[in-house]
Amino acid sequence: MDKTETKFGRGLLGAVAAAVVAAPLAVATPAIAQDYPSADETLDWTIAFGPGGGNDIMARSIIEILNKYDLYPGEISAENRAGGSGAVGWGYLYAQDGNGYGISTTSGSFVTTPLQADTPWQPEDFTPVALLATDDLVLVVNGESDIQNIDQFIANAKENPITIGGTGSVNVDFIVPTLFAKRAGFEFDYVSFNSMSEQTTALLSNALDAMVGNPGEILGLIDSGDLRPMVFSGTSTPAALEGVPTMGDIGYDIGVSMPRGLILPPNAPEEAQTFWIETMKKVVETPEWDEYISSNTLTPTVLYGDEFRTFLGNTKNGFETVLREVGAIE
Amino acid sequence: MDIFSDLMMGLSIAISPINLFYLLIGAIVGMIVGVIPGFGPSAGLAILLPVTFGMDPIGAIMMLAAIYYGAMYGGTITSILLNTPGESATVASTFDGFPLAKKGRAGPALVMQAAASFVGGTVGVILITILAPLFAQVSRSFGPPEYFLLAVMGMLTLLVMIGTNWKFGVISALIGFALGTVGVDLETGQGRYTFGSAELIGGIYFIPIAIGLFGLGELFYAFYTGLHKTGTGGIVQYDKEERFWPSIEDWVSTRFTMVRGSILGFVVGVIPGAGATIASLMAYSTERSISKNGDNFGNGEMAGLVAPETANNAASSGAMIPLLTLGIPGSASTAVLLAAFLLWGLRPGPLFMEQNPELAWGLIASMYLGNMVLLVISIFAIPLFVQMIKVPYRVLGPSVVVVCALGTFSVHASFIETYLMFAAGMVGFFMRLYGFSPAALVLALVLGPLAEEALRQTMTISRGSFGIFIERTPSLSIICVTIALVVLLPLLNRFGNTSAGESEKAGS
Amino acid sequence: MRRVFLVVLLAGVIYYTYVAFADLNFLTRTGRPGPGFFPRVIGISAIFIILWALIDELRKGADEQEKANPEAWQDVVMLMALAIGYAVLLRMFGGFVATVIFLGVTLMVLNRTQPLKNFALAILIPGGVYLLFDRVLNANMPPALYDLPI
Repeated sequence: MDKTETKFGRGLLGAVAAAVVAAPLAVATPAIAQDYPSADETLDWTIAFGPGGGNDIMARSIIEILNKYDLYPGEISAENRAGGSGAVGWGYLYAQDGNGYGISTTSGSFVTTPLQADTPWQPEDFTPVALLATDDLVLVVNGESDIQNIDQFIANAKENPITIGGTGSVNVDFIVPTLFAKRAGFEFDYVSFNSMSEQTTALLSNALDAMVGNPGEILGLIDSGDLRPMVFSGTSTPAALEGVPTMGDIGYDIGVSMPRGLILPPNAPEEAQTFWIETMKKVVETPEWDEYISSNTLTPTVLYGDEFRTFLGNTKNGFETVLREVGAIE
Repeated sequence: MDIFSDLMMGLSIAISPINLFYLLIGAIVGMIVGVIPGFGPSAGLAILLPVTFGMDPIGAIMMLAAIYYGAMYGGTITSILLNTPGESATVASTFDGFPLAKKGRAGPALVMQAAASFVGGTVGVILITILAPLFAQVSRSFGPPEYFLLAVMGMLTLLVMIGTNWKFGVISALIGFALGTVGVDLETGQGRYTFGSAELIGGIYFIPIAIGLFGLGELFYAFYTGLHKTGTGGIVQYDKEERFWPSIEDWVSTRFTMVRGSILGFVVGVIPGAGATIASLMAYSTERSISKNGDNFGNGEMAGLVAPETANNAASSGAMIPLLTLGIPGSASTAVLLAAFLLWGLRPGPLFMEQNPELAWGLIASMYLGNMVLLVISIFAIPLFVQMIKVPYRVLGPSVVVVCALGTFSVHASFIETYLMFAAGMVGFFMRLYGFSPAALVLALVLGPLAEEALRQTMTISRGSFGIFIERTPSLSIICVTIALVVLLPLLNRFGNTSAGESEKAGS
Repeated sequence: MRRVFLVVLLAGVIYYTYVAFADLNFLTRTGRPGPGFFPRVIGISAIFIILWALIDELRKGADEQEKANPEAWQDVVMLMALAIGYAVLLRMFGGFVATVIFLGVTLMVLNRTQPLKNFALAILIPGGVYLLFDRVLNANMPPALYDLPI
């Protein structure tokens, strides 16, 4: 505990320090390795964002499946520890070094927040359980546009430089079109917005040429023909976007997406990691999980254990390289 | 009468006992959430969202929507009684609401705000009912150039807020702009004044600043003037003889204010991202520049309370338009509603109302009922709240500190924001003492980032050319309206005795 | 005192401007306004106008009589100190305990004549807030850094 305090007690601000220092007090003796999971231990599930967000919905969906199929013997207590774009919640988990009864779900900020702020943790520090799905993006143009498909889109973009909108800049919304443009050989100006709604109206008002976004949030506008999908960044196109090619299909695979996975504190007991890997293998087989994937238009992408850690490392490095190139981070 | 039959169909759904029950629950929770400073509708919605998972979507969406617009009713109560905005859209209601309470008119002020909220909310729903498709066109014509012009238009209202000493007013606004630049730069992702803190990535949220400047600042000032020593008295020596109900004159003098506030609020609410806060601030300053008693604004003028109150409620109705007709959430609160739609497997978008008429029209019909329910709850709750100002200030004061601190913390669970609130409280006291303008600071903090981001987006899109502002029809229209307002308003004021009816035309 | 306030503001604004010049780019790589563009504009205008206001104040000179009222200041400073203490307590002991202590102490100082009422309020208000936030609304309350053995 002393070590934790001296390491993080100083220089860190606000709740990060609170979570980091408070956690060891709350955590009992390290779990006894043999009989994991013990039914007496409450599983402390950290949701690093507020209720209603993507991370929250994912965590609660998994917990519901765990409870329904009796996959975890003890109590599960889910707690929203929001703040600092995830820094607070994951900082809390990070402080439970060696504990097998802390757990959390990840999202895009798990990779981007450490790039933007001095968090004590990096994504690879945690004990990886599984990557379960990825958030991928669809590139769309205004439905009134003359551009009908991605070939015309690229051809047009090579002729006249275009603008593409997205949410935020240290973000997959920026990375995906940047890498795609590089592969496809066109240039564009990225316009960064605060929210999906502002960028969507900007596109509808013809201020932008195109934008990227999570398909789930704009399906309604795609259905009505107000927006026209061009290309999808995931490995396979979700059912709702049938007929839209993926970037891989047209030969410009970029291999970047936002990880939605499950992590344990750093150095969690091996038994705990194995248990959760086995459990998640069961979870992803349930119809409820399929329902979750399709209603949130995620791409099911499953990787277990160290493969997930490698994936996180690659994603982070990929982001860092692109962001450093454009000067977003130093 | 297609609309009429749709509405009747919606009403028949909304009026079922179980749905009415959910509506009532939503309205009450909305009031409570609104009353707690800092804890606004979006936080309340997000927290109660999980409760609705097992419910029937229509009942659930009616309840959630009621929380959303109910918070606008509750939010003003502390603005009037404690000078502490209950949530962001009721900051403007402190400007004249609190002076009214200090004059001993807390009762009439609270009744008038409830009435104004009702009028704003109801006009808003009527406009949704009959003109939704038209306004859908408005909300989809807003790109970065239009947002920039809107922010500039909003900044013109700073001129009204600046107060007697213009240098101090400008300093206040510049501090607000400076605070607005904190956070990760939207365009480049470069950190500005974040000093490595994860909590400052998103910038300085203006609610802790507003609660501190107005609520705590006022409290410190009251202690400076020795209010806590005056025997048993509270904020005012509440006189039992004082009327609880507003006078006839209150109603008559604000009847056009309500119309103007409703329309302005609704139009601003329709624009995604502008929202109730900007609507209420713009309505306040528009009213101030139109009114014959403009100089008396800030000293307890009823129109100064009614204008922002009708506007924020009308705006919260207006924000339903992009949500229902385009599937685009116009505010943090409607974003949570959108998340709820998605959770139930609905697909919000232009086809939403056509594909889910029961849900859409049930929701619209429930908003008529909800506003009535909220009016009734307010009227019953007001006598209870009025008791608050009879509490001796030396007891009330410490409780206000507690409510401000815990309310601020509850929003983002952030200690930094809580400390900012305390710091803003002290700065607010000195600003008040030395004649600076906390209102200008808050307005600049709201509009500054909007203007900067929109301008830089515009410059990227136009590749550095300002011509884009006149090439796009929507932005050209905004420029024309702004010029018309700037030219016409002083002219109208010069004629002095302009009747309210004529200035009404110019205002809307 | 107003001069002191202006000097404090000036110091803050000078630091703000310094950071704007030292750390933030004036233009982006494409030659458009960058992250440091507006901070520099805001910072320099603020320095200029605060200096102007300060000179005005100094010109007014001796004839400006501040309403020196030591007794009024005493109470404000005390309340501010108590509020800062509360902020620290919140951090250490969490929302509930800190509020009990803050209300207990503050009411004792301000409302000496009714100790029983003060005691009741110091328990009831935090209790009510706790019930409303934690139990009814499931809202965030400041967590404790150190648990008190109660």
